Amino acid sequence: MKNELKDVLNITFSAPEPKKKQMFLKNLRPSEISTLEMLCRQAGYIRGTVWIFAAAVIVFVLFGSWKQLPDTQELVPEIMPFLAAVSVLENRRSRKYGMIELEMVTRFSFKSVLFARMLIPGITCLVILAVASPVIAMAFGGETLLTAMHMLIPYLVTMSICLQVERSPLGRRLEYGSLAASALISVLMIWIKNYAAALVNGYAEMIRDWGVLIVLILAMVTAFEQWRTLNSTEEPAWNYQ
Amino acid sequence: MDLEVVYDKIYRYVYFKIKNQSIAEDITQETFLRFIRQKGNIHDFQMKYLYTIARNLCVDEFRRVKPDSLPEDIDDVSPAQEDHLTEQIAVREAVAKLPAEDQELLLLRHVNNESAGTISKALGISRFALYRRLKKAEDELRAGLEACGYEK
Amino acid sequence: MELSVDRLSKQYKNKIAVDRVTFRLSEGVTGLLGANGAGKTTLMRMMTGILTPDSGKITADGIAVQTEEYRSLLGYLPQDFGYYPEFTAREFIQYIAALKGLEKKHARKKTDDLLEVVGLSDVANKKIKTFSGGMKQRVGIAQAIVNDPRILILDEPTAGLDPKERVRFRNLIAEIGKNTIVLFSTHIVSDIDSIAGNLLMMRDGQIIYDGSWNKEQGDLEQFYMKEFE
Repeated sequence: MKNELKDVLNITFSAPEPKKKQMFLKNLRPSEISTLEMLCRQAGYIRGTVWIFAAAVIVFVLFGSWKQLPDTQELVPEIMPFLAAVSVLENRRSRKYGMIELEMVTRFSFKSVLFARMLIPGITCLVILAVASPVIAMAFGGETLLTAMHMLIPYLVTMSICLQVERSPLGRRLEYGSLAASALISVLMIWIKNYAAALVNGYAEMIRDWGVLIVLILAMVTAFEQWRTLNSTEEPAWNYQ
Repeated sequence: MDLEVVYDKIYRYVYFKIKNQSIAEDITQETFLRFIRQKGNIHDFQMKYLYTIARNLCVDEFRRVKPDSLPEDIDDVSPAQEDHLTEQIAVREAVAKLPAEDQELLLLRHVNNESAGTISKALGISRFALYRRLKKAEDELRAGLEACGYEK
Repeated sequence: MELSVDRLSKQYKNKIAVDRVTFRLSEGVTGLLGANGAGKTTLMRMMTGILTPDSGKITADGIAVQTEEYRSLLGYLPQDFGYYPEFTAREFIQYIAALKGLEKKHARKKTDDLLEVVGLSDVANKKIKTFSGGMKQRVGIAQAIVNDPRILILDEPTAGLDPKERVRFRNLIAEIGKNTIVLFSTHIVSDIDSIAGNLLMMRDGQIIYDGSWNKEQGDLEQFYMKEFE
């Protein structure tokens, strides 16, 4: 059809200017994602280090159990503090890279970002436990639950210490304060193992008798520290400028 | 597609049927809301469904009130338009002489620039029938325009 | 929509940054003019809900500032912002879109549209760290409007833009301002002249001018100079 005819039709069928268009389209907000979906998508933004470290622990456990490397059973609890530290270090990314202000004004807000960064590594740790403890228990003889508790206790202790470190004024300034804390804990564990045999035996006995209770208490302490970290973000640095 | 463009198209279509600005706009918005309720998304407005919904809503509206009692807007013409007024009246008359179904086709195809696929699905006719009727409508419009002295 | 700021105050240890500020905004572009340290950023941070005022109230059609609902209406460009080092322009905008709750498919499309609007389509997959200041600022503007906000707050948005980018920005803001409450801060008078229909002027934490500015009232530049001497 010729363009002239098109113009003719355009004029003929023109309608008066709609009055409520802009208002309507503005209110026609897109369907929004749920908090669960948001958490899932945050997993994609967790730093590679966390995944690599988690994968390395699993590989080490599997390889060590397969080859029957005698130290596997003892070394795994000693590397758990580092996993905790790597997870806690996720929490400082927003501050480090100047994203806090942007993340605070979104619908889900900065708190949920932080929550995701605690939850996702936490679940990862549970996955590691679920894989590693039965494998080690089977390969070296022992109970799955006991093995899991031996791994979990240093993880939780380091986690709650690191969370406190990160909130402290000094920890805010020190980029790898958490890593240093975890290294200290790990070294301490090795030292005790080598030089304080009585302590090691006592510890093993204690875990056997009171392990579940200890883990529960530590889990509660850790959760409390996480809750405090989540809520401390309400006072960003510029409040004191 | 831009949401505003979609809105304009549906509104223009509904206005063609209803000839009342305020009612046409209400129906346009209801069309969008029904689409969202049925399809559950707002990012991918499929024109053929929107037209179908809009058509049905117009039918409902006609059923609700008698067609003659619908308040029609009176064309208000701005001075700038007046130059073309005589020409426009001739064109309008030529278009008005066509059956309503043909006008609808011309609007959808040449003003809203919808594809043959969209139109045939929206109106529930075959592509073949669409082409045939469109051709007839175009010929008749051309003849009508020539008859009332419009040339270009 | 009406955004109402009512007797808002914020005090730091030894300085009153915002002092009993009251004003109302509706759809349109408003410029917030003031020298550095006048309290513009503090005011804007309170209007986005990231800073808690000592006293006073901010509401948008009755919706309080520190609610999820308010945030879902909001777009904000901070004066200074960073990005995760691995982010490309596209990833950055999509990340913010996800936090703003946009559904994935919609977010992807919207991101592409906005990259086009701010003229970054051809570098969409380049890392932000390779960008110039002006390009980074354009990414910032895109993320602010990715959720089609009804309230848009921009802190020094023209900083770092070259003249061509400024023109593009002005057109974009004028377009958005047709049906959005836009408040942008600046210390450059010419920004106000060309974009803003309304003007708020701030000095020592107080609003010293609130209203439109037309040429009959004289030269804004001169007025500004006089006020800030």
